[in-house]
Amino acid sequence: MKENNRKTQYISGMRAGIPVILGFIPVGIAYAIMARQAGFTILQTCAMSLTVFAGASQMMAVGMYVQGASIITMILATFILNLRHLIMSVCVVNRMRKDTTRIKLLAAFGVTDESFAIFTTEKEGKCSAAYFLGLIMVTYTSWNAGTLIGAIASDFLPVIITASLGIALYAMFIGILVPNLTKNWRLGLLVVLTAVCNSILTQFIQSSWALIVSTLLCAFIGVFFVDLEPDKKEEPTDGQH
Amino acid sequence: MDSTKILLLILGMAVVTYIPRAIPAVLVDKMKFSAKTEKFLKLIPYTAMSALIFPGVFTTDAEKPIIGIIGGLVAGFLAWRKCPVMICVLAAIAADFLVYCFI
Repeated sequence: MKENNRKTQYISGMRAGIPVILGFIPVGIAYAIMARQAGFTILQTCAMSLTVFAGASQMMAVGMYVQGASIITMILATFILNLRHLIMSVCVVNRMRKDTTRIKLLAAFGVTDESFAIFTTEKEGKCSAAYFLGLIMVTYTSWNAGTLIGAIASDFLPVIITASLGIALYAMFIGILVPNLTKNWRLGLLVVLTAVCNSILTQFIQSSWALIVSTLLCAFIGVFFVDLEPDKKEEPTDGQH
Repeated sequence: MDSTKILLLILGMAVVTYIPRAIPAVLVDKMKFSAKTEKFLKLIPYTAMSALIFPGVFTTDAEKPIIGIIGGLVAGFLAWRKCPVMICVLAAIAADFLVYCFI
């Protein structure tokens, strides 16, 4: 019975990951093309996707490699770019408290912007480690499939198609975010505040730092004025619990 | 020489990307969050997603901000009308494809 339940959750996690496929395959291809042009072999290109599993930093590292950056600089830049995963991972594993550390460590490998966004906005009852593992199974596979396709056959996709696919991950974030805002205007206000904050900060500091600062700062501000459970009562009123 | 360098790079990157992801997995059981902190953690997905979308969406195509704007608006409208995420994604891609055909 319990086994069965886990399977159902794993499958619903996989299903939730389907929209990511459309985003990850083209980005994986784009990364692989960059890596191959930078002089990476097919094996090296794929090995990086298999072990690192972080699109933005892989592209950045390959770009820096071409410019002749030192290994230390590239690794440090990767570390900074991925510090946001520390915050995201806290939110993800905080929803898996019942599971063993071993499972959590496995799940942690699959924390990306996308799996985090899907998992942490899912209803409390539906999400579990099994759900998350199903989800990252799909995201990990599509990321590596995209890499392999790009590494082998660099340019068989017409430019217009790959260019159009560039919107996929943004559209996915929008598709997850917006429905949560229609019933909670205070949360909507917080999202607008974060958007403005991040847009301003990126003008002055590196965008990876801007993302971390605006995410944390605005979530902190939100603690004081956002009510997270307005669904329970149709019209949100303050201080009722 | 070059392949050693790349191997070291890949290994180093794998380590520094996994560490921030793994630390919370080890520590979370030892931590108890107050109600305020729980609320803070619950708000992070929304602020993080907002920061992931803005201002990045405007540079979906670095030379043509209209691509990000059209795709984003299409996705936003459909999401607002409660369409599944997959529909939002497909429609945004289709819309951008059409825009590319005409500009």
